[in-house]
Amino acid sequence: MSGLRVLIVDDSSVMRKIVDRSLRQAGLEITEVIEASNGAEALARVQETRVDLILSDINMPTMDGLELVRQLQALDNAKGVPIVMITTEAGESHVVQALSCGARGYIRKPFSPDQIKERLIPLLAG
Amino acid sequence: MDSNLSPTASNGVHLILSAKSSGSPGLGSRLAKLPREETRQRFTESLASAAQEVFEMMVGTPLGEADQSTLPRAADYTAMIGLAGDLCGVMSFRCSSASASKIAASMLGSNELCSEESIRDALGEICNMVAGSFKGHLTDLADQCMLSVPTVVSGKDYQLYPLADGLRIQVVRTFAGALVWMTLDFHSS
Repeated sequence: MSGLRVLIVDDSSVMRKIVDRSLRQAGLEITEVIEASNGAEALARVQETRVDLILSDINMPTMDGLELVRQLQALDNAKGVPIVMITTEAGESHVVQALSCGARGYIRKPFSPDQIKERLIPLLAG
Repeated sequence: MDSNLSPTASNGVHLILSAKSSGSPGLGSRLAKLPREETRQRFTESLASAAQEVFEMMVGTPLGEADQSTLPRAADYTAMIGLAGDLCGVMSFRCSSASASKIAASMLGSNELCSEESIRDALGEICNMVAGSFKGHLTDLADQCMLSVPTVVSGKDYQLYPLADGLRIQVVRTFAGALVWMTLDFHSS
């Protein structure tokens, strides 16, 4: 998988950097990383530009990750774009809720680049 | 979780944190029926494992063993996060200014001096991930306990009064040669 445009959504700038670095360490070829600090910002970014992958935290101010996933379903620019949640909230009910909203995957913090690769490669290949 | 800042006559402010029971019979009340030492041991092991996992995976440096008796009275940074639901309380992560800078730099993959904002952000995330991982280690807790947004306090001139009236557990470790420590104060429910 090469030349990916990835949107990383997290209210922590440190975490956005870690996710960015982990994607590269996982061997994904990234053309551009676009950052957003909450769901509302992420929606605006997706309306501006087409991305290949969206990685989002759940607990964020202004608009949380679950609401972001719900609203992305109505955007043409987000059609077919895999959305993966990256969060500390890894209980079964959170996973079910995220997947039922339209997320395609779930990664629990803390994570390793290998875990990122394991979860993302099948999604991007499919 | 409620937090109040109250002025004191002599030394700055006292930060008062309180945590309350959800009122429903959850893990907290089930744990209350276990022998206190059994609960303490289970929680201490889970907290230690959670902290180790977070530091190995996200900071890139494993934590070392430490002697709890060498713990300083105050830390330069205190990151806190509230737990609510079946288990109510506050988790705090404390460290020196030098450790905080090293943690932030490691997380950012940078050799340069990190900004104060990045340091606070990094410590808040550490606290958030340790608390989340702690919940994950207690398999019957993950779905029944919510985490608050983390808060980071810098400076030593304060006293922390968790109003939780239950179990207190503390894990002390070393990071890059300096002490870091995590405390969980639970409200009995």
